[in-house]
Amino acid sequence: MSISVLLANLPYLFQGAVVTLWLAFIVVTAGTLLGAIVGTIASGGGRILRAIVTAYVFIFRGIPVLVVMFLGFYTFPALGIRLSAYAAVTISMIVYVGAFVTEAVRGAIAAVPAGQVAAAKSLGMRRLTMLREVVLPQAARLAIAPILNISLMAIKQTSYASVVGAWELSFAAREIVERTLAAFQIFLGVMMIYFLICYPISLLANFCERKLSFDH
Amino acid sequence: MPIPAGAPIVVSVNGLVKSFGPHRVLNGVSFDVRRGEVVVVLGPSGSGKSTMLRCVNFLETFEGGTITVDGAPVGYRSDGQGRRRMLDEKMVAENRERVGMVFQSFNLFSHRTVLQNVMMGPVSVQHRDKSEVRKQALELLEKVGMAEKADQYPARLSGGQQQRVAIARALAMRPAVMLFDEATSALDPELVGEVLRVMRELATEGMTMVVVTHEMSFAREVADRVIFMDGGAIVEQGVPHEIMANPQTERFRSFLGTDRPDRGARIA
Amino acid sequence: MDWSQFGSFAARYLPQLWNGMLVTIAVAALAAPTAVAIGVVLTVPRVAGWRLLSGFVRAYIEVMRNTPLLVQMYLLFFGLPILGIFWDEITCGVLAVSLQHAAFLSELIRSGIAAVSPKQWEAGQAIGMRRWAVFRQIILPQAAIKVMAPVSNQLIVLVKDTSLVSAIGVLDLTLSGKVIIERSGASFEVFILVAALYLILTSVIGAGFRISEARFTRRLG
Ligand SMILES: Nc1ncnc2c1ncn2[C@@H]1O[C@H](COP(=O)(O)OP(=O)(O)OP(=O)(O)O)[C@@H](O)[C@H]1O
Ligand SMILES: [Mg+2]
Repeated sequence: MSISVLLANLPYLFQGAVVTLWLAFIVVTAGTLLGAIVGTIASGGGRILRAIVTAYVFIFRGIPVLVVMFLGFYTFPALGIRLSAYAAVTISMIVYVGAFVTEAVRGAIAAVPAGQVAAAKSLGMRRLTMLREVVLPQAARLAIAPILNISLMAIKQTSYASVVGAWELSFAAREIVERTLAAFQIFLGVMMIYFLICYPISLLANFCERKLSFDH
Repeated sequence: MPIPAGAPIVVSVNGLVKSFGPHRVLNGVSFDVRRGEVVVVLGPSGSGKSTMLRCVNFLETFEGGTITVDGAPVGYRSDGQGRRRMLDEKMVAENRERVGMVFQSFNLFSHRTVLQNVMMGPVSVQHRDKSEVRKQALELLEKVGMAEKADQYPARLSGGQQQRVAIARALAMRPAVMLFDEATSALDPELVGEVLRVMRELATEGMTMVVVTHEMSFAREVADRVIFMDGGAIVEQGVPHEIMANPQTERFRSFLGTDRPDRGARIA
Repeated sequence: MDWSQFGSFAARYLPQLWNGMLVTIAVAALAAPTAVAIGVVLTVPRVAGWRLLSGFVRAYIEVMRNTPLLVQMYLLFFGLPILGIFWDEITCGVLAVSLQHAAFLSELIRSGIAAVSPKQWEAGQAIGMRRWAVFRQIILPQAAIKVMAPVSNQLIVLVKDTSLVSAIGVLDLTLSGKVIIERSGASFEVFILVAALYLILTSVIGAGFRISEARFTRRLG
């Protein structure tokens, strides 16, 4: 068992890693944006809106992301929307990640101390002003660490896209393994690549958890 | 300095009734505050003092009675058929601009510096010119003795310093009345004086104030009128040196009696 | 699809999906206790303060936390045979899920124990208890209460993660859905059923955890 097969295929794996990074970037950015908007609206909105958001969060947090990917993969064509596996997976993951971020943002907004809200109100701030000037800046601090952890989860989950048929790092690895049969070396190498992508983010998440949770 | 009977009424509370669930906390509270008057509210824990103040700023809803500030109704208006309607958010917010509030727990915005805290209301609510607001904010900070900490974050300040900034923040809105809810209760004893000193200064400058406090000396020396509340109602009120020296009810007498001398003796 | 016929549609495919659901439950039922057991074992060196072993455990946790479960599973299933180890897909699936979640569980348990105030240690030792006795009788019950909610959450994530065993050919709920669509030409609504079944599974388990949490806390707290 030699490692040269891994080295020989590294360039191909790196191509896959680039796709993985793009996929992760799009999913994390759009999912965070979606979750931030939905979470914020739900925190201020009426009962019906809150119930809808609660259902969204409950449903997507209760089913595996792989199932959500399959759901997207099979549903869009059935509705007459032709999408690549790649696009279907991206959209599914954005909705999935959005549910997790929504929950994190709602939690962060709820954790802003009541006294801050009372002070803002007593200055005559209206809802939007209060949200912009007081609630969101403080909630953002609290939400950063959870959102980083969700991002970490999402990056790892992009590998599941290969199961649905979207080409990225894990898919590339399986192609190489089918060709070379060097499953052990290749998958170990791929784990190392994922580790290099994920480890800095988990360090950052740890750092933020320590720094931002307490008031300086 | 006595307040002339003809001075305009700034705050008027009429038959205020408020419950939390089945628990009635305010049971028909009525009083007026005239311009320049300093009213100190005394009363045992749970008598409804905070709740009453919060109603004046409509931080709490209430189910009976009316409140006006500068003649404008707080929280509710009556429609043509005499039914109570809650005011819309805009009106509620406009009312709050006229009322400055200082909390027991300071509640400075922790993500903003001292100066930003003081400027926030005038800039983001009243949309006043930023450089003018900045000048005013620095003056106010000077007045409360916090000018040199203008660029610090609240977490770095002592409680007394935070509370003085909170007072400046409320004053920056140029309110018609200032409400203080136990502004010194959360402070270490050695920090109480610096906050009381600022409050005294405001009183001598003629600021209209409603002050909930346990500081008897402040009531005795600064108040134009003392209101004693118990069980959600006003039990006694009058000029401090009269009613505090000569309480008419047993409840007020025992309240004054149980007041620990160390608290009463503290003078700013 | 005509939604009025969803009932008969569901009736047609539910039996097959139900078989998949049983496999999913079986995989989870095997993986969850294994993960907890490994997680506890991984926690021991860190709580006991064995430096070298703790170092290994920490490295292991970082690797598990920062690499995808899917690739770990591929490594076990496709990679081990190269080393002469042949395990079937269920074994590999259960093991991969267990190994990954053991890392997270160990981290949760450790921080639960660390969250019990050090004063409790002192108090226990002050009344003459030995270290181990203090740990078992004072620290552990309090830590158990603290970790119940996060551990329950983690185990629900574990249940969802069992769906990945479909990628190495275990005919679980996820793979059943895929097979029905691709072999019997059924339409996409099959996956709505699959999703609904997962949702029922995770919420029932979640409710079960909450009830036992409440009981447990009442008994110990
Ligand atoms: N948000 C709330 N929900 C339910 N009950 C409340 C709430 N706020 C206050 N109360 C109750 O209302 C009553 C009056 O409370 P309030 O805070 O107004 O008293 P207080 O006179 O300010 O007392 P203290 O001197 O302790 O501050 C108390 O019995 C209190 O328990
Ligand atoms: Mg109070």
